[in-house]
Amino acid sequence: MKLLDFLSYAAGQVTRKRMRAVLTIIGIAVGIAAVIGTVSLGEGIRAQAIGAIEAQSDLTLVEVSAGGGGGAMHLVTGARAQAIAGLPGVDAAAPLVRDSFASERQTYLAVTGLGAEGFSAVLSPSYAQGRGFSPGTNEVVLGADIWDTLRRYEGVRLGEPVTVLVRAYADTGSPEDRKIVLVPVGVLRERGDAFDTAVVGDISFIGAVREREGHYDGLLVRASMPAAVFPLVDRIESLGLSATGSFEEIESVNRLMDMVVVVLAFFAAVSLVVGALMIMTTMVTSVYERRHEIGIAMAVGASQREVLTLILLECAVIGLIGGILGDALGIAFAWLIDAVGKPFIVAALGEGFAGISTTGITLVTPLLLVFGVVAAVGLSVLSGLYPARIAARQDPVEAIRSRR
Amino acid sequence: MIPAIEVHGVWRRYPPAVEALRGVNLTVDRGEFVALVGRSGSGKSTLLNILGGLDRPDEGTVGIAGVEVDYADGNALVALRRQTLGFVFQDFNLLPSLTAEENVAFPLLFNYQGAGERARRASTLLEDVGLADRADHYPREMSGGEQQRVAIARALIADPPVILADEPTGNLDTRTSAGVIELLRQINRERGTTFLIVTHDPEVGAEADRTIEMRDGEVVA
Repeated sequence: MKLLDFLSYAAGQVTRKRMRAVLTIIGIAVGIAAVIGTVSLGEGIRAQAIGAIEAQSDLTLVEVSAGGGGGAMHLVTGARAQAIAGLPGVDAAAPLVRDSFASERQTYLAVTGLGAEGFSAVLSPSYAQGRGFSPGTNEVVLGADIWDTLRRYEGVRLGEPVTVLVRAYADTGSPEDRKIVLVPVGVLRERGDAFDTAVVGDISFIGAVREREGHYDGLLVRASMPAAVFPLVDRIESLGLSATGSFEEIESVNRLMDMVVVVLAFFAAVSLVVGALMIMTTMVTSVYERRHEIGIAMAVGASQREVLTLILLECAVIGLIGGILGDALGIAFAWLIDAVGKPFIVAALGEGFAGISTTGITLVTPLLLVFGVVAAVGLSVLSGLYPARIAARQDPVEAIRSRR
Repeated sequence: MIPAIEVHGVWRRYPPAVEALRGVNLTVDRGEFVALVGRSGSGKSTLLNILGGLDRPDEGTVGIAGVEVDYADGNALVALRRQTLGFVFQDFNLLPSLTAEENVAFPLLFNYQGAGERARRASTLLEDVGLADRADHYPREMSGGEQQRVAIARALIADPPVILADEPTGNLDTRTSAGVIELLRQINRERGTTFLIVTHDPEVGAEADRTIEMRDGEVVA
């Protein structure tokens, strides 16, 4: 193939001035290494932070609620709840209703009504004491924190009925409290989320406390695995509903780290620009030195386009070698950051990031290495455009007459 | 018979005041071995560059191998240099980074030939010019006469009907010159290749079928 022959000829040209080629290649490689090293630091910190979130929170739990897209309110109707339950990546889904009651001593109670089956399918609750609520009854389970409050200050005990107040409004608009009775039958283990302060009861009972308009207040969804969460959220949002959950923490970490990585990479890229300018200088010099030879090539039948291609291919060869070397140097650089910088960073971040001390603070992804080579080749070819044009636009008569 | 080279009323001016060619007319028949002589500045090299498509005339027409050269069409000029013409220069103009065989094969890089075919044809031609044992030598390792033979083989690689030579013996001693002229003549006889040779060398003139003389941008004989 012609391009392959051109490439091998161009590679031969690059190796003619060995020292110069090596220096130019090092120039671009250092730039690539700087970018890879700094970006790997950002990616490493991102991975650590996301790992910490995944370890500490219930990532696959997503709560769906009504969304207001495009001026219209999209409610969690029975049909939509069923549609979401049937989406790929969904293990279980449970519609819910919400209400707020108060204890007789005015402790605020955030009440969630769920189907007993859905409750155990989505949340797999484990109980510190007691058991789950039975369907169709006024039994409830309490979150760890609210149980603590009620037990300590209001003398609530498991199995004993508790009277709570439901704030309602008379036709005249004046508030009037209704009394209903709940029976706490279980206490959830501490979860580290909103369920610690929640009172959970059967949806048919809680939902009947007030008149409702035929839709749910939300839908709890259990995704099959962490990787399924983001695509699932996209689908839910495309239905016009909104989704919340621990995944939002990951989103915000990603947003933050995107910024950090871009800023880091920007500064590292300055050295890449220097590398590109080196290639341009080298190639301009090289083209002037070889004016005579380029003239000969034109005399024996090389077209302007072919001369241009040959010079650009020389740049691509320099970029390819520089990119591969830059990847290797970048990996070494990342290793150096781990070895030298880690103790400082661990000390600064404290115990919460202790995981870092066993793994690394840098992360060199395959994509980053591919980017390194592609960027090196692309930048080199770009830098070669000007010298290549000089070469291609020579007057062959002048060029042949000129001596080295 | 269609002439190999046909030049009609060619003018070439270099502003402001130089008129390098002043209405040149000449015809070289197919298979002719022609010497083009004249003093420095008589316009020989300018004419040769125009025939080779490296320079363009301000007026007049040029036909090579029966086709009128369109100097505005870059692709046509490239095709002319690739397929119809071979060049031999005074100072050989080999590429120093390539071996003899690679130099001979070099034009085929632009002529869409595979590496194997290029090497095969180059090695055959090196044999024809008597340098089979020099195939892997670089130009700096060869004598002037050997370099010129390599350059001649390179000019022949696309088997062009016409070869333009600019002082091919100008940098060679008398004995070596005789060998090179002999080689050119032999190629002319065996292949029927048309030669137009710009020269100061009386030996070339003596060997030529015909001598064209230029003076002050005009053909005088």
